[in-house]
Amino acid sequence: MTESYSVRVMTGRKARGLALVSKKAFTFAHGVDPRNGNVTDLHSDLLGKNVKGSVLVYPYGKGSTTASAWFLETVRLGNAPAAVVTSSVDPAAVIGSVVAKVLYGVEIPVMLWSDAPSRMRSGDAVEVDAGTGTIRLR
Amino acid sequence: MQLNRQQEGALRGEEGEARQLAMEILAKVGDAMEADSLVPISSAHVLAHYSSLHEAGIEMLEKFRDGGGRFAVKTSVDPASIDPQNWKSFGVPEEFAGKQFRLFRAYEALGGTGCWTCVQYQTCNIPNGGEILAWAESNAVVYANSLLGCRTNKITSGLDLACALTGLTPRYGMLLDENRVARVAFRLSVRDPSDLDYRSAGFYIGRHCGSRVPVLSDLPKSSTFDSLKHLGSAAATGGPVNMIHFVGFTPGCDSVAKATGGEKVEVIEIGRKEMEEVEGELNQTDEKADLVALGVPQLSLDELKVLAGALAGRKLRRGSSMYVYTSKQAYDEATGSGIRSAIEASGARLTHSTDGEISPLKEMGFRTVMTNSAKLAETIMSEGEIRMRYAPLKDMIAEATS
Repeated sequence: MTESYSVRVMTGRKARGLALVSKKAFTFAHGVDPRNGNVTDLHSDLLGKNVKGSVLVYPYGKGSTTASAWFLETVRLGNAPAAVVTSSVDPAAVIGSVVAKVLYGVEIPVMLWSDAPSRMRSGDAVEVDAGTGTIRLR
Repeated sequence: MQLNRQQEGALRGEEGEARQLAMEILAKVGDAMEADSLVPISSAHVLAHYSSLHEAGIEMLEKFRDGGGRFAVKTSVDPASIDPQNWKSFGVPEEFAGKQFRLFRAYEALGGTGCWTCVQYQTCNIPNGGEILAWAESNAVVYANSLLGCRTNKITSGLDLACALTGLTPRYGMLLDENRVARVAFRLSVRDPSDLDYRSAGFYIGRHCGSRVPVLSDLPKSSTFDSLKHLGSAAATGGPVNMIHFVGFTPGCDSVAKATGGEKVEVIEIGRKEMEEVEGELNQTDEKADLVALGVPQLSLDELKVLAGALAGRKLRRGSSMYVYTSKQAYDEATGSGIRSAIEASGARLTHSTDGEISPLKEMGFRTVMTNSAKLAETIMSEGEIRMRYAPLKDMIAEATS
């Protein structure tokens, strides 16, 4: 069964991947190793997981304002998530995605959905479409 | 968010590639944050250390430079990952330094002030009360909102450049009156707080305020602006803090009620037990420290004077290093007035335009670092490679010299 939800679009285009869901504040700054996509933040419930190609879901960002640059470096090295879905705006993901398009030609959708961390589970197959503002869960 | 005709033109590329990218970032973030418009800023402060910006950050900066970008307003730059003058003698690897030098050159081309500091409000970018700013660097954001009567959001890397290159920032968050009202009150019940207590109090506020703006009362009247600088920095490290209403210090704030708009709010006491809770979180070990690090944020000239006095007649023990991070301005003044030689007579070293949490301490060979900076302790600890000790200045000096 497929469920489809209308959500707010921050930026990007289309992507699909498996959901990787954190229930806690998340940061790329000192929190994800750009060289492989591994989550290294000791406070994260995704510690040891890998964000590469995932639909990364978290409630809100935290920590250093350099998180956008860490995100961008993760894109440059090919280890970024396929899409990001947050329940409160994380400017780091929005900025990282906008600049990644210009520098690396990659358009990572960033979406805002307040119910995301409760409706989505790690491992769900997800399609994200920033053109229509929809998230489909299978 | 509404753009005016000129801003729409810039978004279409009429003012060149750099401004087009800048305007796209402003428009996307403005829409995301539900800002109604872009407003002029009087100054910007941007991030520039290689250790966090990485190769991608250099490429972003060079893209703006190659697209014809120039800073449109006064723009100071955060500390670098190396001391541009003395990096070799600190054992920084050549390749790492080369990356930082690419950032130095790009900022120069964009029209940066050549001032690499996280305490620009004490040195090279001192705003007037009431101004709207676009500052990155969390300690400076807290300082500007709390002690200078200015308004700034905590500006994320990338957006910082977009604001500096256009002289504009989206109107949201801390720019709006309703988001500056205190919603939780903290009361300091420790008498005669030490240097460490100010930082621990800040960190405790950060850990417990949630998304609420805090007010802090019962600070000693003798609290210095340097003490509040470190308190604010620690608060922004512990949580999402952009402003603290300091009763008796924040312009126009003479009571808790003034900060809360008369509303009743939760009151949280910060006493000895709360200080110890923070010390417990930031202290990982009691091993001997191979580096004792002072100044995250960078120390002022006044703080260097105090340190010179505390180190008088003492010598560092063998195998111990003490690094003191400061701004170029304070470094030059300390050099001229003999304070630097007084500090360095002990074997400690002054270093400028950089800061501990963004320098390659592991590559420089350190394994255990002692500091009274909650920001340094928390940042380095979260990387998981160096072990941290968190202690007051007097213990740091005892550790390094005996």
